[in-house]
Amino acid sequence: MLRAAWIVFQNEFRLLARDRTALFMLAFAPLVIITIAGLSLGNIYGVQPGSEPYSIIVVDDDHQWLARALIDAFDRDHSISVVLVANLVEARAIVGKRARAPLCIVIPPNTSRAFEAGHEVHLTLYVDPVKRLEAGAIELHLDRLCREVTARAHDLAQKKVAEQASHLRNQLAHFAGQMKAMTSQLDLLHRQFERARATAQSEVALQMRQTIDQVRGEVTTQINRTLAQTRTAVERDLAARRDALMAVSRYLGQLQASQRDFETWLAKLKSAAGSHASQIPPPPSWPAPPDKGQLAELSKPLDFPAPRIDLTSSIRLPEKAIRLPRMPKFPDLRSIPDFGKLASQTTTPLPGILGWRERSINGGDADVNTFDQYVPGFGITFLLVDMLWGLGVGLIDERDWGTLARLRVCGAPASGMMIGKLMSRFLIGLGQMILLFGAGWALFGISLGHNSWALLLPAAAISFAAAAFSLVIACVANTRDAVLPIGAVAALAMSAIGGCWWPLDFEPHWMRALALAMPTTWTMEAFNNLMIRGLDPSSVAWPTAVTFAIGVIFLTLGILSSSRIYQNAGQ
Amino acid sequence: MIEAAHLRKAYGARLAIDDLNFSVGAGEVVGLLGPNGAGKSTTLSILATLIKPDAGEVRIAGIDSRVAPDSLRRKLGFVPQSIALYPPLSAIQNLQIFARIYGLNRRLAESRSLETLENVGLRDRADDPVWTLSGGMKRRLNLACGLVHRPEALLLDEPSVGVDPQSRERIFTTIRAVADSGVAVLYSTHYMEEVERMCDRALLIDRGKLVAQGTVAHLIELGGHHPRMEITFEKRPRPGWHDGLAGVKEIARATVDTKILLELANLGQVSELVDRAREAGSERLEFTVHSPNLSDAFIALTGHALRDPTGEI
Repeated sequence: MLRAAWIVFQNEFRLLARDRTALFMLAFAPLVIITIAGLSLGNIYGVQPGSEPYSIIVVDDDHQWLARALIDAFDRDHSISVVLVANLVEARAIVGKRARAPLCIVIPPNTSRAFEAGHEVHLTLYVDPVKRLEAGAIELHLDRLCREVTARAHDLAQKKVAEQASHLRNQLAHFAGQMKAMTSQLDLLHRQFERARATAQSEVALQMRQTIDQVRGEVTTQINRTLAQTRTAVERDLAARRDALMAVSRYLGQLQASQRDFETWLAKLKSAAGSHASQIPPPPSWPAPPDKGQLAELSKPLDFPAPRIDLTSSIRLPEKAIRLPRMPKFPDLRSIPDFGKLASQTTTPLPGILGWRERSINGGDADVNTFDQYVPGFGITFLLVDMLWGLGVGLIDERDWGTLARLRVCGAPASGMMIGKLMSRFLIGLGQMILLFGAGWALFGISLGHNSWALLLPAAAISFAAAAFSLVIACVANTRDAVLPIGAVAALAMSAIGGCWWPLDFEPHWMRALALAMPTTWTMEAFNNLMIRGLDPSSVAWPTAVTFAIGVIFLTLGILSSSRIYQNAGQ
Repeated sequence: MIEAAHLRKAYGARLAIDDLNFSVGAGEVVGLLGPNGAGKSTTLSILATLIKPDAGEVRIAGIDSRVAPDSLRRKLGFVPQSIALYPPLSAIQNLQIFARIYGLNRRLAESRSLETLENVGLRDRADDPVWTLSGGMKRRLNLACGLVHRPEALLLDEPSVGVDPQSRERIFTTIRAVADSGVAVLYSTHYMEEVERMCDRALLIDRGKLVAQGTVAHLIELGGHHPRMEITFEKRPRPGWHDGLAGVKEIARATVDTKILLELANLGQVSELVDRAREAGSERLEFTVHSPNLSDAFIALTGHALRDPTGEI
C-alpha cells in the first residue's frame, strides 16, 4: 500500500509539472489578482508620500484668514493638491471629469468673521457620490483639520484672554490703590462735612429762634390793635339792632294777647250763634306789624369793617447771614478708570467651531447605496466570465467536438457562424444584465436613475464588448483548459482595474491610465453617471461609444483569430 | 461524380499527397485504403473543402471547388472520423441544425431528420441527448448528419472505427443503401476487410501517392496471388533456415526477428517450412497461412504492410 501511495504521490507532481493550466492557476493567476488588488487598494490604508495626490477643488468666497489657513494647510499636505476655482459650476466640471477629485469645498462668505465672532461656521462639501470612499478619506482629513483650526483658534483666543485678564488684574490693582486713597479722602471729607453741618445747624437754629421771637412780638401787637378797632365797630352796630329787636318783642307780646282774646271771642260767638254759626262775620283784624324800617334794620347785614392785619408793612424779617463751612477739596475723579472701556477690553469673544456639511455635487443624495456600485460592478465581472464560458469555451468545444468543421463543410460561412454566436451571446449577456439590475432593484433597492431605460445602452455595449473579448481569449488560449484560467484572470483583472470592485481613484496613476483601454472602466462610468450621480441619458453617450469602440477592436481581433480557428477546424 | 485531378498538398517539407488522380461515379462505393499517414484524411479534407490543395482540382457533381465552394458543399455529405456532434443536444436537434445549415427549411429539415434517424436505426432515441447514446449510436448519428440533406457525394472517413458489430452492420447497410440511391461514396479506411466487403473499387494510397486502383479482385491480382505464411518463433531462427525451398522468400520481419512473413510458391510448402522451423531452433511455433488478399496486394505494391508490422499484420 505504501509503495502505491508513494508512486501515486510522485505521479501527482509529474502530472502537475506537465499541466500548464494548473501551474498557471497555481501561481501566476493569484499573483496577478493579488498584485492588482494590492496596488489598487493600497491607498485605502493611507496615501503614501510620493504617490499621486488627491485633488481638492476649492471655491473661496471668504477670502479671509480662515480660508487662507485652510488652503495653506491642504497645500502643505503632500497627499492633497488644491485647485482653486471661481465658482461651483467650474468645480462641478472638474469633479465630474478629473480623476482623484472626489469633492469640492466651498468656503462661504464671511466665514472668518463669523468664526471670530464665536459662531459655528460650516464649509460646504460637494461630494461626487461615485467617489464616496475617497471623499470619506478626505473628509477624515478635513475633520482633523477643522478640529485643529478650531483648537488652534481657541488656544490663541485663550492666550489673548489670559493676557487681557493679566492686564486687567494689573489695572484693577492700580485702581484698587486709587480707590483706597480716594476712600480715605472721602472719609476725611465726610468728617469735615459733619462738622460743618453741625456748626451750620446750630447757627441756623439760633438765628431762627431770634427771628421767630421778633416776629411773634410784632404780630401780637398788630393783632391786638386790629381786634380793638373791630370790637368798637361791632358794638356800635349791635346797639341799633338791639332796639329794633325790643320793638319786635313788644309787638309779639301784644299779638299774643290779641290772639287769646280773639279765640275767646270766637268761642263765645259760635256758641251764641248756634245754628247760625255759619253766618258769623269775619274775625277782627290783627295788630300792625313793626315798621319796615325796623324790620329792615334787623335784616341788614352787619356792617363793620373786617379787621385787617397788615404784617407786610409792619413786620420786617431780620436779615441774618448764615456762615457755612468751606467746601473740602474733592479727590480728582479723572483718575477713576473707564470701566466701560475696561469691560470692552475684557469681552474678547472666543472663536466659534469650524465644521462642514456635505452635499452631492449633482444635487442629489450624497450617501450611496453600496449595491449601486456592486450590482453593476459584479454584474460586469460575471458577464465577462459567463461570456468566456459561453462563447470562448463554447467555440473551443465546438472545435473539439468537430461540429465547427462540420458546420464549415455544411457551407456555413465563418462570418455567419460568428455573427450567430455573437448575437446570441450578446442578447444573453444583455438579458443577464437586465435580470441583475431587476434583482438589485427588488432586493437591494438600487437606484436605476431617472431614466432606467438608458441603462440598456451601456449594458448593451458591455455585452457586445464582452462577447468580442471572449472571442479573443478563446483564440489566444486555444484550448478548453486554458480558456477559463487565462480568461478568468483577464476578466477579473479587467474588472478590478476598470473600477468594478472598488472606485477607480484608489488605483495608482499608471493603472488608471491602463483602465482607459478597458471597456469595464467606461461601462462603470456610464452606470455610475445614471445610477449614482443621477445624470441624464446624454451622460452615457460617450462612455457607451468608447465601450462599443473597444468592443469593435476586440471583435476585429476576435474575428481574425477565430476565422483561423474556423478555417483550421477539421484539419 | 467525385473527381480529383493532380491533387498535391504539402505541410512544410512533408508531402502529404502528391499528384493524386481518381474519380468516383454515381452509385459507386470506392474505398480509399492506406496505412496511417498515407494521406487519406488529407485527401478527404481537400475533397470536403476543409483544406485547400497546393495544386490540382476537385469537382463534385461537376462543380469546381475553386469556383463555387459553397455550391459544392451543398452537394456533399461528409462524415468525419471523429464524432462531430453537439453532446448536450438531442439526436434530432443535431440533425436539424445541420439540415438547416445545408439550406433545408424547418419543416423539411424535421421530416428528413426523422427519416434519416429511421434509416440509421435511431428513431426511438431521437429525443435523447447525444451524450446518453452509446459509442455505436453516436457513430450512426454521425453518419446520419452527413446524409440528412441527401447529398450527391458522400465522404466517409473511417466511419466504423470502434463500433460494436451491430452498429457496424447498420452502418454498412445504410452506406450501401445510399450508394444504391445514386450517391457517389468515397470510403476511407485502413481495414481491408471493409473494402473487400463494401467497395466496388479501391484506391490504394501510400505516402501520398496513388499506388493502384481498381476492383478488389484486380488489386489482389496485381499483388501476385502468392500464399503467405506467418511464423512466430520462440527465439531468433538461425539464418538460411528456409534455403533451398523454391519460391519461398522472406517478405517482412518484425524488429524482434522472431515473427517472419514468408511468401510461398504454393500451399504445399507449408509442412516443409514447419519442419525446418522446428529444426531451426524452436520446439514451439505459432504460424498462420494466408490466402492472397488486398493487404497482400498492398504489400506487394508498396513493399510494406498496410498496418504496423509490430502490431497487426
